[in-house]
Amino acid sequence: MKIALVGNQNSGKTTLFNHLTGSNQKVGNWPGVTIERKEGQIKGTDLMVVDLPGIYSLSPYTSEEEISIKYIIEECPDMIINVVDATCIERSLYLTTQLLELDTNVIIALNMCDIIKKKGIFIDNKQLELLMGARVVMISSLKNTGIKELIKVIKTKQIITNPHNKIFSNEIERIITKINPCKKHKRFISIKILENDLLYANLKSDVIEIEVSHIEKRYGCKIDEIIANLRYNYIMKIKSECFNQNPQKKSMTDKLDKLFLNKWLAIPIFIFIMMLVYLLAVGVVGSKTVFMVNKLFANLNETTSSYLNSIGVSNWIVSLVCNGIITGVAAVLSFIPQLIILFLCISLLETTGYMSRITFLLDRLFLRLGLSGKSLIPFIIGSGCSVPAIMSTRIIENDYEKRITIICTPFIPCSAKLPIIVLFSGYFFNEYSGLIIVSLYFLAILVIIISALILKCFIKSTSTSYISELPEYRFPSIKYIFFDVWDKTLIFIKRAGTTILLFSIITWFLLNLSFTGFAMNIKDSILASIGNIFAWIFYPIIGEWSWAATVAAIQGLVAKEQVVSSMTIIAGLTESTNTSKQLFASGNLFGFFNPASAYAYIVFCLFSAPCVSAIASMKKELGTKKRMWGAIVFQTVIAWIFSVFIFIIGSTIIMIVG
Amino acid sequence: MNKLKVGDKGYLVDLCKGQKALVIGLCNDNKSIKRRLLDMGITTGVEVMIKKISPMGDPVDIYLRGYELCIRKKDMKGIIVKVIE
Repeated sequence: MKIALVGNQNSGKTTLFNHLTGSNQKVGNWPGVTIERKEGQIKGTDLMVVDLPGIYSLSPYTSEEEISIKYIIEECPDMIINVVDATCIERSLYLTTQLLELDTNVIIALNMCDIIKKKGIFIDNKQLELLMGARVVMISSLKNTGIKELIKVIKTKQIITNPHNKIFSNEIERIITKINPCKKHKRFISIKILENDLLYANLKSDVIEIEVSHIEKRYGCKIDEIIANLRYNYIMKIKSECFNQNPQKKSMTDKLDKLFLNKWLAIPIFIFIMMLVYLLAVGVVGSKTVFMVNKLFANLNETTSSYLNSIGVSNWIVSLVCNGIITGVAAVLSFIPQLIILFLCISLLETTGYMSRITFLLDRLFLRLGLSGKSLIPFIIGSGCSVPAIMSTRIIENDYEKRITIICTPFIPCSAKLPIIVLFSGYFFNEYSGLIIVSLYFLAILVIIISALILKCFIKSTSTSYISELPEYRFPSIKYIFFDVWDKTLIFIKRAGTTILLFSIITWFLLNLSFTGFAMNIKDSILASIGNIFAWIFYPIIGEWSWAATVAAIQGLVAKEQVVSSMTIIAGLTESTNTSKQLFASGNLFGFFNPASAYAYIVFCLFSAPCVSAIASMKKELGTKKRMWGAIVFQTVIAWIFSVFIFIIGSTIIMIVG
Repeated sequence: MNKLKVGDKGYLVDLCKGQKALVIGLCNDNKSIKRRLLDMGITTGVEVMIKKISPMGDPVDIYLRGYELCIRKKDMKGIIVKVIE
C-alpha cells in the first residue's frame, strides 16, 4: 500500500516522514525545503510512505508543487495523510477540502499539537472529525507523539469513506454534477472545470459557461473567487465549532523579528551572521585543526611506507600507495573539521527560521538584479554544496529568475572549494588569511551581481512575484542537526574514498608514465603533456607557463577539492606536516606562485565551471543541454576575466610596493 | 499619499504598518497570481493586518488567518480592502 504525505509547505511532513521511516531526510524551517518526492517504508510494516513537496492547493504554482500534484492526481496513492499545521488551521484545511473531493481516502494528521498547547489553542478533534468527514489524529512530529496511533489508524484502515462536505450552494452543486467528466476524481475535476482552471480548459463546454455567468452575476465576482470564498467560509464555520484560542501575549517570534527585521539593524546583522559563519569555520577552527590532521596522515604515510618496504614490495607500488593514494586523499580529508563547523552553521540557519527572514529582507535588492529574494536560499545552501543548492531553486516561482539563480549559484564558494582557498591563503597571506577568505566571499557576491546584470540582458523577463510565508522561529532538533552534519560530512569522506582516490591514482600514473614507458623526468610525463596543451589559458592568470597548475585546475572539474590533491601528488609531497610550505618552496613546481598569482588562481578555481555533479544538476534544472553549456561557458569566461584582471592589479601592486 | 482612515476603501498596498482591514475583492490581472492569493486565503471578508515591512520597503508581511504572508507591493495593488482599525 502506498501512502502519500500531503500538506502545506513547512507543515512538518518530512519530520513525520523521518519518524515513520527512521530516515534523516532534509528538514528545515522555511517554505519549500522538500523539493523532490521521496519514498520509504514505515518501520516494521510493509507500508510505503511517499513524502511530497508542500502545496497550498491542488493548483500548481511552482515546479516543485507540480511534482506533488501530479503524483496525487495521476499516480493515485492508496491513501493520503493530510498533514495539517494545527497552529494555522484555516489555511491548512483549505487544501483538505480539495483533497476530500478526490477519490482517494484521506486521514488528517493534526500536527504541532505540542505548540498549540503553549499558544493556548484548544481543538476539539472529535468534532473536527465529524464536521470534515475524515479521521483526525493528533500528532507532534517534532516531539514524536501520536505517531503510533497514526500507524495503527493506517494499518486498520479506520477511515471514513465517501465524505460529502456541504461547501457549495445547491445551484453550484447542480452544475458540478452536470459537468460529469467521466474520469477518476470526478468531483474534483468537475469543480476545476467549473473554476475555469487553465489546466482543464479543454474539458469545458458552452452550456456550463452560461450557467456560470449567471452565478457570477449573482455573487458579483468571478467564479474562481466564489469557489475559494465558499471554501474558506465553510472552514470558518467549522473552526468556530471546534477551535478555541485564548488571547495571547506577544510571541517570541515577534520579539525576535523586532531585532532581525529592524529597519536599520537587519542588514548589518545579516552581514555579521554570514561573516561569523565563515570566520568560525575557516578562520578560527581551520587554522587550529588542519595542522593536526595533516600530522596524523604524515605519520600514517611514514608507517605505511616503512611497512611496505620491510615486506619487500617494489618501489613503484610504495610510491603509488604513499605518494599517490595517501597523499591525495589526506590532502582533502584534512579539511574535515572546518567542514563540520560550516555544515553545522548552515544547518542552524536552515532549521531556526532565519532563512525565510533573509529572503524577506533582501527581495527588493535582488529584484533589481533580476533575481528573487528566494535566490538567497540556494546561495546559502551553496556554501555547503552546489548540488542541493541548484535543486532548491525549484521554489522560485518565475522561470527566468530561477534560471539566473541556477547559473549564479556555483559562484558561491562551496565546501569543496574551501581546501583550495585555505591552502593558498594560509601560505601567501599568513595572518591576513582570514581577511582574504572574507574578501573572496565578497568577491563572490560581486561576481553574482555582475553576472545577474549581464544575464538579465539575455534571458527574457516576464512579470514576477514573491508570495511566501514567514514561519515562526523554532528551536531545532539537536538529534536532526547531529545527523544532518554527520550525513554531509560522510558524503565528503565517501567522495575522498572513491572519486578522489580514483583520480589520485590516475594522476599518479599519468605523472609517472610517459608515452614511451616510465617517465624518468615528470616533465616528460603524460600529465605534463596534457597540461602543456591548456597552459596558455592559465598563462595570463598566473604569469607562468605551468602545466602543473593547469592540470590541477582542470581536475577541479571532477570535484573541486581534487585541485589540492593533484597539487600535492604532482609536487611529490609525502612526509610533510606543513603541506603549503613545501608546496610553494622555491624551486618546486609551484614555487613560482606569488600572492597576486595565488589570489588570481583561487579566483579562477572558485568561479569557473563547477564540478561534474553540479553541472549535472544544472542541466537537470535548466532543462536543456544547450542552456547547460551556455552556463558553463559563461561561468568560465567570467572567472577568466576576473582572475586575469586580479592578476594584473595584484602584480602592479607588488611591483610598486616591493 | 493620503493615509487611509477607518471606514475608507482602498488598496491593500496603501495601508500603513499596524492597520487592519477587511478584503473586499481581488482584481489582479495575472490569473496565476490571483489563484495563488485566493489559495493563500485572501478571500472576500477576511481580516488582514500589515504586520512587518521589509527594511527596504518591500515586500510586506501581512497577518491573516493565523499566519504571516509575505508579498510584494506590486501584487498588493490588486487587493481591494476596507479599513477597520
